[in-house]
Amino acid sequence: MKIVHMADSHLGFSAYGRVDRWGRNLREEMIYRGFKETVDKIIDLSPDAVVHAGDVFHHVRPRIRPLYVFQQNLVRLVEAGIQVVIISGNHDAPKSYASLSPFSLFEGMEGVHIAHHYRYEPFEVGDCTFNCIPFCLAPEDYLEEFRKMQERRAEISGGKDILVMHGLVEALWDRRLRTVGEHQLKESFLKSDFSYIALGHYHGQARVAKNGWYSGSVEYFRFNEAKDEKGFLFVDLDTDPCSVKQIRIQDEYMIDLDPIDCGGLSSREVEEGISAVCQRRGIKEKIVRLRLTDLSREAYRSLSRRIVGELRAEALHLEIIPEFSDEPALRETEPVRAEDLPQEFETFVEGEAAGGSIPPAIREEVLGYGTDLLARISARRRTERFDAPQ
Amino acid sequence: MAEMADLSDERWKETPGQESAPPEGLARIGQKPQTIARDESSNPYFRIISKDVREYHFIVPSEEVVELGEIFSIRDGRREAEITFLARITDILHDSNYDGNWDTVIRGDGFYDSDQIFCRVVAEPLGCVVRDEGGERFRKARTIPAKFSPVTRADKEEFRFLGEVMGDIEVGRLRNGSRDVEEIPVALHSDAMDHHMGVFATTGMGKSNFMKVFAASCMKKASSKESKFGLLIVDPHGEYIFGSKGTKGLLHLDRYRDGIVCYSTDKRHQKDLAVSELTINKSEIRPQDIEILYDWTSAQSQALETISRVFSGEHWLDEILTPEGTAKMIAENYQKDTIGKINRTLKNILDSNQYISDITSSIPGIISNLLDGKVVLVDIPTLGERSELFLLSLLSRHILYRYKWESYERSRGKRCLITVEEAQRVLGGGEGSLARFESIAREGRKFGVGLCAITQQPKLIDKQLLSQFNTFVILGLADRNDRTRLEESAKQDLSTLDVEIQTLEKGEAIISTLKIPFPVPASIHLYETYLERLNREGPSEGRGRMGGFNPPPD
Repeated sequence: MKIVHMADSHLGFSAYGRVDRWGRNLREEMIYRGFKETVDKIIDLSPDAVVHAGDVFHHVRPRIRPLYVFQQNLVRLVEAGIQVVIISGNHDAPKSYASLSPFSLFEGMEGVHIAHHYRYEPFEVGDCTFNCIPFCLAPEDYLEEFRKMQERRAEISGGKDILVMHGLVEALWDRRLRTVGEHQLKESFLKSDFSYIALGHYHGQARVAKNGWYSGSVEYFRFNEAKDEKGFLFVDLDTDPCSVKQIRIQDEYMIDLDPIDCGGLSSREVEEGISAVCQRRGIKEKIVRLRLTDLSREAYRSLSRRIVGELRAEALHLEIIPEFSDEPALRETEPVRAEDLPQEFETFVEGEAAGGSIPPAIREEVLGYGTDLLARISARRRTERFDAPQ
Repeated sequence: MAEMADLSDERWKETPGQESAPPEGLARIGQKPQTIARDESSNPYFRIISKDVREYHFIVPSEEVVELGEIFSIRDGRREAEITFLARITDILHDSNYDGNWDTVIRGDGFYDSDQIFCRVVAEPLGCVVRDEGGERFRKARTIPAKFSPVTRADKEEFRFLGEVMGDIEVGRLRNGSRDVEEIPVALHSDAMDHHMGVFATTGMGKSNFMKVFAASCMKKASSKESKFGLLIVDPHGEYIFGSKGTKGLLHLDRYRDGIVCYSTDKRHQKDLAVSELTINKSEIRPQDIEILYDWTSAQSQALETISRVFSGEHWLDEILTPEGTAKMIAENYQKDTIGKINRTLKNILDSNQYISDITSSIPGIISNLLDGKVVLVDIPTLGERSELFLLSLLSRHILYRYKWESYERSRGKRCLITVEEAQRVLGGGEGSLARFESIAREGRKFGVGLCAITQQPKLIDKQLLSQFNTFVILGLADRNDRTRLEESAKQDLSTLDVEIQTLEKGEAIISTLKIPFPVPASIHLYETYLERLNREGPSEGRGRMGGFNPPPD
């Protein structure tokens, strides 16, 4: 049996504000195109099944366009005779039992198996069992669902056995994305008796056990992914150990350029440096970040808007980050997003509690109250955004 | 010779019109009893008779049983504030009011007054508890209690102040002589753990039991996310994970299982949901990690040092084993035999340590969990001593590097305590490839890394290194040299406890640590009993899961 392992499509992700002639976000459209090309390639490879290990959609409540793109491509896979197994991830799983998952729309489709009910679900495809543990609401739930799965596995013998989960294993915890609902997966889940372990959430391709892989995402989403391997994995379960082939769909289009040391350079020399490095690497329709270190404010103010503007027009997105010589270098951080606030808040509270500013007796209360408040504010903001005319 | 009571003291005179019975144990002189007003609130009671600020003496009747290590309280009512001195028995002597060799006759009885013979008890002052308007506080005693101040066995009320100075990692109960004071738990301070801890005991005195109790308390803290440090235990005997010989293991603590992560080389253990397969990636091994495994000749040691220069990448282990790699080393003027020996040893290591992998590594996960404040158990029951040292050294190097980096980045997670069994192997001082542990002992605290050294022979641990340890858990040491080494290095005075340490029974301990004002006698919990108690504890108070809502029906 051959399967394709993919994850983290994040349909509906948009960024940078560049639009096409119909007013559609260019970045968002790029991801839809990439998804279609991925499905084209899968149909070419003709595996028995495709497993998507979470985060099909970027939002819990995706708009019509990502839903439509997904539905169209899902139908193509099914019509090609390829079974599809999907689990919900931290991005597309509602964070309360009261909300309905976007995957409810696709339940009952022939050849499509979706685990999105916050619990372990096994799906039989051919002689293979896909043991799916989707996004769970509480981190401790994974252990319980895993226990249920092990009990079931103990009762059934024979056939291939695949584990599908979404989250970050302990070994990669340093690479966490700090997004809402980002859960840590215990390394003890990566049991060696599975035929294969298909993981999602980490956007680079990575082997985390003899039989366990992150497929990575097809697309780039953050600059810290610029050096990651991208694409999906083509897995032959009939070999022992199973063979895993990395398939790349997109050319490298996110570039984090080496910084230019601008110490003592005039604005003209800085412009020349920027042009040279961009030309050398080629930035056409790419997403590029360039840091200018030890830069004087005078040189920065005098930079030619025209030259920078031309480069920006050539790239899909060009981010120039000045680090001025008269101020300490800022730590490289991703911008904080509303969805990250509860995680940020929890980290903050834990830090304060560890320092003794928050007594242990009320720590949980502070955390609970604050998190609830942030969730309500975020929900209100989101509702306002969604309710606004598009 | 006991000093006689001062009969002019008003307190010693009988109340007119009342003929009180002589208190049990008080001396009689002839037929005329000399008594003092009895303090009914303290029974039985004795009286301080001497001696100075460093040593108190009181007498007890011959039939009264007192024990070394027992703590007595001495009420001193001379001042406005109520002051209770606490003193611990350090010696017990036969004594009497007779002079000469009166008690050495061979035959005959009944010719002496039994009230005139007694035991003289020698006690060291621990400090005093002062109670005034400001409440209750403990401080060192700068004076002596008034002569004839009443002495009684200290009870839980007198020890109440200890409850306030105890830490958060419970390990046992306060012990007063052979009796446990149930109400006063003995607990170590998390804050003191990166100041290093030593656990000292001869075989069979309960080191493993202590470590399991300690780890269980750490698991409890980690489970409630209140842990302040991660605890690394490398267990070469396979006794911590599921216990052995009828004892229970750490994974039997179901209630707080989320406070521990386990890595094992044992396939049977790996079946448990909490246990991961231990793997170390080849690229994480450095020549200096290999160096500790064997005794190398000078030329071989030099060749090992050269490897890092000749093979700059992470794949030196693979490269050196190729003919091209061997040729590169020979080009550095090393004999073919020297390189051949190194290569054969490397092949043996790779073959015999099946956990060394080309693909994956447990080290990032181990460090991540330590930074998260969890207990990390590395279970290697099938490996030999060399492999244990190799693994411990490798893990310590990575941990120290990471904590240094975290310290530099000011993004430090929880601190870390690395447990080292048979610590005399690596903390013996002097030059050597195990200097890594010594550097942790010396400078680890700066980066939040502490050592928990377990040994039967503290005398073999370098004196200077031992003086870096601020917490001593002493579970009984028969060897005088061991005790002397600890007395020399402890932050609190243990010299008076020499006899008590010698007479400690299994499960009894003396704990000397920061923030607890004197070395505390403790009765360490029996792990199996403690386990039952912890497993019975209810769910911790925390955020309700999804406000108590249930998943909707399909």
